[in-house]
Amino acid sequence: MRAFYALWKKELQGYFLSPIAYVVLMFFLLLMGVSLWFLVDMLSGGMIAGGVMQTLFGESIFFWVAMLIAIPVITMRLLAEEVKLGTMEGLLTAPVADHTVVLAKYAGALSFFVCMWLPTAAYGFIIRYFDPDATVDIGPMFTAYLGTLLIGACYVALGLLASSLTRNQVVAAVMCFALVGISFFAGFIPYVAANPSVRHLSAYFSPVIHMMDFSRGVIDTRPLILYLTTTLALLFAAIQVVESGKWK
Amino acid sequence: MMVEVDHLTKCYPRKKAVDNVSFAVDSGEIVGFLGPNGAGKTTTMRMLSGYIPASGGSIRIAGIDVLRNSLAARRKIGYLPENVPLYNELRVDEFLRFKAHLKGVPPRQCRKHVERVKELCGLSREGRRIIGQLSKGFRQRVGLADALLHSPELLILDEPTIGLDPSQIRSVRELIKELAKHHTIILSTHILPEVEITCQRVLIIHEGRIAASDTPANLRAAIQGGTRILVELHAPREQAGGLLANLPHVREVKSDQREAWTHYELECATDVDLRQNVFELAVREGWKLRELSIKKTSLEEAFIRLTTGEPENREPSMDSYEV
Repeated sequence: MRAFYALWKKELQGYFLSPIAYVVLMFFLLLMGVSLWFLVDMLSGGMIAGGVMQTLFGESIFFWVAMLIAIPVITMRLLAEEVKLGTMEGLLTAPVADHTVVLAKYAGALSFFVCMWLPTAAYGFIIRYFDPDATVDIGPMFTAYLGTLLIGACYVALGLLASSLTRNQVVAAVMCFALVGISFFAGFIPYVAANPSVRHLSAYFSPVIHMMDFSRGVIDTRPLILYLTTTLALLFAAIQVVESGKWK
Repeated sequence: MMVEVDHLTKCYPRKKAVDNVSFAVDSGEIVGFLGPNGAGKTTTMRMLSGYIPASGGSIRIAGIDVLRNSLAARRKIGYLPENVPLYNELRVDEFLRFKAHLKGVPPRQCRKHVERVKELCGLSREGRRIIGQLSKGFRQRVGLADALLHSPELLILDEPTIGLDPSQIRSVRELIKELAKHHTIILSTHILPEVEITCQRVLIIHEGRIAASDTPANLRAAIQGGTRILVELHAPREQAGGLLANLPHVREVKSDQREAWTHYELECATDVDLRQNVFELAVREGWKLRELSIKKTSLEEAFIRLTTGEPENREPSMDSYEV
C-alpha cells in the first residue's frame, strides 16, 4: 500500500512539475468559464428551460469539448513516457506488483481529473449568490458531478490503455482522442438512427444521454454499472498489456 | 549460494538471445559478465532482475525462484539498468525518497537510508539538485544509490561505467570495490580492464552462451600458456627459427622478415621466461640481437580469441614453425 501511495503521489506531483497541469487547467477553466458566462447570459435573458446543472453539464458542448481534449492530454504520458525513458524498467524491477504500478498511475491521473473539476464546484454557489431565484439544487449538482466522475473515470482508463499500447505520447493522445471522440459522437446515434431497435439499443450506451440524466438528478443504476464495469475492464486490459510487454 | 542459474534460455522471435546458460555466484563474489555488444549480457541481467521472464531454465536468488516468487526475489536485488532510468524533473532527494518508499523501506528509516546511500555514492551535496541537470557521472551515481537503497544482498550492475570520463570511471570502480565488502555483485561490461581490475571471476558470454568462466588470471593463462617472447635477430632465418623452436617449452615460433633483421615471436606452452635461453642461444650461434622482450597475453587477447576464434593482431605475413 505504501508503494501505491508513493507512486500515486509521484504521478500527481508529476503533473504539477511539468507545464501540462497548468496548460490543461487554464484551458479547461477557460472553457468552463465561457460555459458559465453563456449560462449567466441565458439566465439573465430568461431563456433557461431546464435546471442550471443541465445547462452546465448535460446540454453543454463545452463540457464535451473539455473532456475530449483534456483526457488525452492527462493520460498520454502515463505509461508511454515511462517505457520511452526506460524508467519502467526501474519500476518493474522494484519489489512492487505490476498491477500496483498501473493502478497507482491510474489513481494519479484520476486525482488530477478531480482536481481539474474542483474549482467548478463554486459555479453553482456563484450563480446562487447573484441570482437567488436560479434553480441550483444540491441534488442535481451532486449527481452531475457523480456522472462526470464516472464518465471521466472510464475515459481516463481508456487513455491509460492507449498509453500502455505505445511508447509515443503523441500516438497515445491521438488514440485516446479518437476513442473518446467515437464514444461521444456515437452518443448521438439514438437521435439520428432510423431503425427503432438501433435507436433503443444505442441509448443504453450514449454518454450524452447518460450525462443529461445525471445532470437532471437521476441516478440510473444501468449507466452506473456500465461505466464501472467498462473502467474495470479497461484497467484490466492495461495491466495485461504491461505484463505482456515483458514476454515480448 | 547467492545466485543459481540453471539452463537459462531466452528466445526472441528471430533470435536466441541467451542459450542454455548455467552458472552460480557465491555470496560476496564480484562476477563480471564480459562480451561484445549483443552477446546477451543485458538480456541475462534483465532476467536475473525479474524484468523479463526466461523462455526456459530457472534462476534462484538466495534460494528464491525469480519467476515464481518474483517480488520476494526483487527485494534481494538492487538493479542498475544500462541506461540508468531516472526522472529528470525530480530532485535527487525526491527521487531517492520515492524509490525508498517504492522498495518498502520503512518510513521512519527512509531519511537514514537516503542519507546513507548518498554518502556512499558521493552525493551528499547534490540532494537539492534537479536530476535533469546532473552530469552523466552523477546520474550514474544516483542510479547506483537507487540500487543500494533497500540494502540488497545482490547488486546487478549493467555497464556501470559506460559513457563516463576516465576519472569518473575510476571513482565508480572504487565505489564498486567498496560495495563488494557488503554485497554480492554481478556487473557487465565490454571494457576489459574493468573486469581485470574489479572482478574476482569473469564469465565470457558470446552469442548467448558462456564461452569461459574463470578468474581473470587463470583465463589469461588458459587461453595461451601465459607468455610470448619477442626476439629480433640478424641471423639465417630458417636456421634461427628452427633452433628457437627447439628451446624447451616453446609451442610455436612465428617469424617476419624486416630487411636484414628477422622478427620472431615465441609462444610458450607454460608460464616461463625464456629470455635468458634465447640470449644464450644467440651468443652461442653468433647472431646479432636487437630486441628481446616478454609479453603476457592480456585478457583482451583471451577475450578476442574466445569470441572470434582468432588471435589479436595476427600479422598475415608471418610464417610459423609448429613444434
